[in-house]
Amino acid sequence: MTKPLMSIRGVEKAFRSRNGWRWASWLSGRTQTVKSDQVFAINGVDLTIERGETLCVVGETGCGKSTLARLLMGLERPDHGQIAYLGERIDDLSDRQRMPYRQKIQMVFQNPYASLNPRMTVYQILREAIVLHHTGWNRQQVDAFIEELLISVGLSSDAEDRYPHEFSGGQRQRISIARALSVEPDLIVADEPLAALDVSVQAQVLNLMMDKQQALGLTYVFITHDLAVVEHFATRVAVMYLGRVCEVASRQQLFNSPKHPYTQALLSSIPRLDNLALEPIHLSGEVPTPLEKPTGCSFCGRCPLVNQRCYEQIPLMQVQTDGSQVACHAVEEGRAWK
Amino acid sequence: MSLLSVNGLSVKFKQRREDLVALHDVSLSLERGERLAIVGESGAGKSLLGYAIVNLLMKPGFIAEGSIKLDDRELTRLSSKQWQEIRGKKIAMIFQDPMVTLNPVLSVGDQMVEAIRSHTRINYSDAKKLAIEKLAHVRIAAPAQRFDQYPHELSGGMRQRVIIAIALLLAPEIIIADEPTTALDVTIQAEILQLLKQICADNGVALILITHDFGVVSRIAERTLVMYAGRIVEQGPTLEIINDPQHPYTQGLLNALPQMALPGQRLNQIQGNMPPLNDQPSGCAFHPRCPYAEDKCRQQPPNFIFSGVSTVACYAIEDMLQAFEPLSEEDADD
Repeated sequence: MTKPLMSIRGVEKAFRSRNGWRWASWLSGRTQTVKSDQVFAINGVDLTIERGETLCVVGETGCGKSTLARLLMGLERPDHGQIAYLGERIDDLSDRQRMPYRQKIQMVFQNPYASLNPRMTVYQILREAIVLHHTGWNRQQVDAFIEELLISVGLSSDAEDRYPHEFSGGQRQRISIARALSVEPDLIVADEPLAALDVSVQAQVLNLMMDKQQALGLTYVFITHDLAVVEHFATRVAVMYLGRVCEVASRQQLFNSPKHPYTQALLSSIPRLDNLALEPIHLSGEVPTPLEKPTGCSFCGRCPLVNQRCYEQIPLMQVQTDGSQVACHAVEEGRAWK
Repeated sequence: MSLLSVNGLSVKFKQRREDLVALHDVSLSLERGERLAIVGESGAGKSLLGYAIVNLLMKPGFIAEGSIKLDDRELTRLSSKQWQEIRGKKIAMIFQDPMVTLNPVLSVGDQMVEAIRSHTRINYSDAKKLAIEKLAHVRIAAPAQRFDQYPHELSGGMRQRVIIAIALLLAPEIIIADEPTTALDVTIQAEILQLLKQICADNGVALILITHDFGVVSRIAERTLVMYAGRIVEQGPTLEIINDPQHPYTQGLLNALPQMALPGQRLNQIQGNMPPLNDQPSGCAFHPRCPYAEDKCRQQPPNFIFSGVSTVACYAIEDMLQAFEPLSEEDADD
């Protein structure tokens, strides 16, 4: 069996939102401790990423999908758990040891207005990455490669002497993609790369990403909240809710027979042009804050199929008969919708 | 007679040499209780149109030509004092980002009471009662407690509900909602859209929904107006436009949606970008990106014609209709 390109096992990550502190009261002579607040961004995520696939990670604001991207990139270190690249553990490496892996895993960020240095020309932006990773190349090789790269992402080669502010949002996202491709990576982690773009420009960028995948055999981890894009682009989908993955399935399985109640509600909420009659499933309540680590299923507060077990026991990922994985007590017990 | 009618509205931005034209000859009408959507990409002028209707244009923007009539009352020449009678009372506006629309240093209740008392002579306790009633109306649980909370204590969806409640306070005839759900998650978006639709239906309020998302439009609006580069290019019933778009831009916009292509296939993209304000093409503004562009498209802007489905400004449609015309005359002779 071939090893998965990347695997994540039992990863947890919490951020401190307020520093804890102690003070001694001068008058009463007692000491008092204020505990620090923690935001539990990721609470135990297991995922594998196979070579050549497009894994879409979907979920609502605050579910930890961007944190997951940053963990994959090594921009954050997990508190617990392991992240491995082709079977080798990479989350505990030092920055220097990690360098070769940074070349293999690249990232495209959400906001093309903020992720390109405004004081560098496109040439400088691309050259910086190339020179860092292809140390043996001479000037001619680098220049020729940059020109080729710009043309391959649909920009003209005279773009190299211009600054990011001279480009539109879609063109900037092309530059970001060119920068990610410049070091010839295996995996590109794209964190909402279309969110800041208009519909017609979204289509252009999505087409470019699909062309590149076909030409270079790239693997994508695509983080988004737009399910229409997921349905078009994904080979496999992971649905996240409040720091946990609640369902992983192939695109066909997820859209044809969503199993987790949250996935079902999410799919019914997308405004679509071809199912106008379908009423969205209304979830009561709001997404809870991740300030407390949930003791049971993280979805139990809004789930229509909830029972006592959901509040007490964390559901585990279970492989279903059609190969999809679902973490839900209700699915396991076969509780039906009322 | 329609409730609101906009006729030949042009909005310009004052510049040192030549004014920039942001809205070109825009006309629309809105009936009582109707839900109208204005769709377009960023820079199409859809928010500007909303701001122009409620006279919230920021300098250097100004209305250069045209009229806006509410119940036969001309709005473009009102003083700012007279506007206070209209804004909030007759036309209310909901903005895009619920995180910045509410004042962070006033409690929800204070903001609501302030809005009521600046328009009507009413004492605090009556105003409070009305505010709590409206909070309950937008399905906020425990409205009396929410009344005393501050905006940062509420989630995004809850804040947007509060904003809708504020818009409803003075029983307006028109609500203009500028991308009301863009900043919200999909499950919350579905709830807010449902709420807006129901509230408009219950109270007979007309709605102008400004959005870029055809999915949102299909859920809520009866009639749709498509804008491109400061012009209206197509208008008609929502379902008809979605099922049978006429203007090449509307077609391109709908075809570019991921659900319009088979999974894994290339999407049908529109080439190019929207022209910037200082570099508008001659003739039809869409011709540099249009697959059907001909010489006359480059020279003269097209007029509106009824295509049988919707009202469109496009020469290609005009030619197609003319090609059929001799046939229908012969039929009439027989």
